[in-house]
Amino acid sequence: MPYEWLPPDGTERRLRLWPYRSLSARGFVWFVGGTALLISVPLFAVLGTRVLWGLLPFLATAVAGIWWALARSWRDGELTEELTLAPGRMTLVRRAPDGAEQRWEANPYWVAVRLYPTGGPVLSYLTLKGDGREVELGAFLGEAERVALAGEIREALAALR
Amino acid sequence: MADAAVHGHGEHGHPGFFTRWFMSTNHKDIGILYLFTAAVVGLISVIFTVYMRMELMEPGVQYMCLEGARFITDPAAECTPNGHLWNVMITYHGVLMMFFVVIPALFGGFGNYFMPLHIGAPDMAFPRMNNLSFWMFVAGVSLGVASLLAPGGDDQAGSGVGWVLYPPLSTNEAGWSMDLAIFAVHVSGASSILGAINMITTFLNMRAPGMTLHKVPLFAWSIFVTAWLILLSLPVLAGAITMLLTDRNFGTTFFQPQGGGDPILYQHILWFFGHPEVYIIIIPGFGIISHVIATFAKKPIFGYLPMVYAMVAIGVLGFVVWAHHMYTVGMSLTQQSYFMLATMVIAVPTGIKVFSWIATMWGGSVEFKTPMLWAFGFLCLFTIGGVTGVVLSQAPVDRVYHDTYYVVAHFHYVMSLGAVFAIFAGTYFWIGKMSGRQYPEWAGKLHFWMMFIGANLTFFPQHFLGRQGMPRRYIDYPEAFAYWNWVSSMGAFLSFASFIFFIGIVFYTLRYGKRVTEANYWNPYADTLEWTLPSPPPEHTFETLPKRSDWDHGHAH
Repeated sequence: MPYEWLPPDGTERRLRLWPYRSLSARGFVWFVGGTALLISVPLFAVLGTRVLWGLLPFLATAVAGIWWALARSWRDGELTEELTLAPGRMTLVRRAPDGAEQRWEANPYWVAVRLYPTGGPVLSYLTLKGDGREVELGAFLGEAERVALAGEIREALAALR
Repeated sequence: MADAAVHGHGEHGHPGFFTRWFMSTNHKDIGILYLFTAAVVGLISVIFTVYMRMELMEPGVQYMCLEGARFITDPAAECTPNGHLWNVMITYHGVLMMFFVVIPALFGGFGNYFMPLHIGAPDMAFPRMNNLSFWMFVAGVSLGVASLLAPGGDDQAGSGVGWVLYPPLSTNEAGWSMDLAIFAVHVSGASSILGAINMITTFLNMRAPGMTLHKVPLFAWSIFVTAWLILLSLPVLAGAITMLLTDRNFGTTFFQPQGGGDPILYQHILWFFGHPEVYIIIIPGFGIISHVIATFAKKPIFGYLPMVYAMVAIGVLGFVVWAHHMYTVGMSLTQQSYFMLATMVIAVPTGIKVFSWIATMWGGSVEFKTPMLWAFGFLCLFTIGGVTGVVLSQAPVDRVYHDTYYVVAHFHYVMSLGAVFAIFAGTYFWIGKMSGRQYPEWAGKLHFWMMFIGANLTFFPQHFLGRQGMPRRYIDYPEAFAYWNWVSSMGAFLSFASFIFFIGIVFYTLRYGKRVTEANYWNPYADTLEWTLPSPPPEHTFETLPKRSDWDHGHAH
């Protein structure tokens, strides 16, 4: 589930959203480990000869390359959105992969949760409107997830008001 | 903050011709570029074979003369056999087909176009690196062609050393044609490795939510396994040929016995790459054939999980059988027994695949559209090639068949008739999806029958020639082999005619083919994600995650 409600802290409720990535940390270890293991098989044939030293840099580069690529692909998806709901104050912080932060704040009493079935950049486009500004939430989620999330936020807001 | 963009979101203008095709970072456009480039190189490479078959049609040398290469025989003029030209032909046919035709078409072309669509990804993980891979492939092709024309051994153009580039032959070859050939393989290898890293990252990290590894369509799986084999084997080749390069130019002696090196070691590392290479060529074909058979048998594929693990097993086993290409270099009996046994084990996962395809058709409602004909051809001919493979895997039998036309027949049955039939199956299966226009059914069927008869006529008699003892890689042969060589050449001409006809079909389809209006122009059993998109698909696909019901049909594909 690429969004979760963090354990509430007093009256404050917090929601975290992130884009779905299909590779787990465990999967990364298995894949890179297996690759390193199999790629070293030909080295047995050349152990004790200088051909080993001709081969080794290329094999090491290949393993380093796939390691870097998978890590980079993860980093590109390190986008998070954090929504904090407290009486009288509602904050949304979006952290881009490069560390840049964007913030939005409004009074939950006046915030409108909007779900545009069509017309937005994605189907069932979810936005929050408050303090004169309309911002998007979870544009990277699946459509069904946004629909479910809209309901959950509305409930949370109702409970808060 | 990401302000809401409800109205007028970024519909950026259509790129011009140059921007679209030369600076492309779109996986679909790059896939098409790969397919067309591979077809052009394929044509060059096929023309070489036609020239070779012309020469082998009659005993004696009529065309490849030292007095100048001819295309029309002239009994009046003198003709001294030009062995170097012959060697150059076999070398570049091999190098081009192995590195610049089949991998780019299946892996670069269909892999780029359809793997991201199958897993519901918007593009590859690294789109600009994808562009780099393609243009490195083009640079590699240019270097290869330059090497063909550059001064080489025997005071003639080109290198005549065989695609395996064995030292000391390759290190003694004069001129700089050989160095260019090494650079060509280097650059294409780097291109394939970058492509493989891209594919692996895309496949592992960008699958749609809920699509676990056991739910990914078989074609995407086949591309992943192929990418992994490329990543594991091509660095080994890069290392090997770099050492060749330094042996040639900088006086190192990695493979020179006079300096303490060992030429046999080169064979070991070459084949450590070379055997996985043949699986790199055929495994994407397995993926395409699975989709085609499931679609036209109108049944979900039989035994999805065994199919997946058979591919993985074929990939892993491919790394531990390399020395069966070199039984005659003087290995111990134990080593030969191991490699013989390990090689035979590969028949098990391959058998799982062949029987699962047959079981998919069993009780299905089989429809013989053109892609299905190609899949049928693949199935029969690949199996024949597999059977001769088991024959050749036996070290004692291999002593007899080594370097005869039996081997030539074997590997052309698995690669020329296996991988190439898969390329054609994929082309007819997807051309409507890629271009928005459908090919004429009669033309596709005519192409199939011409190619099927032609290719069998070319290669089946070569089994007889091999059993009679005709060695490979020679420009001429004794009178006794004349009959089947004549038949084989006739088959080659028919296959070539069918290839020219195919080029015609493609251009006719792209210009005048019947427009495809529906997203899925086959039947509901073509149920992977590309069939939910319009034909041709829009420039950007799956920018928003696909609905699970679009790809998850309860059964696996």
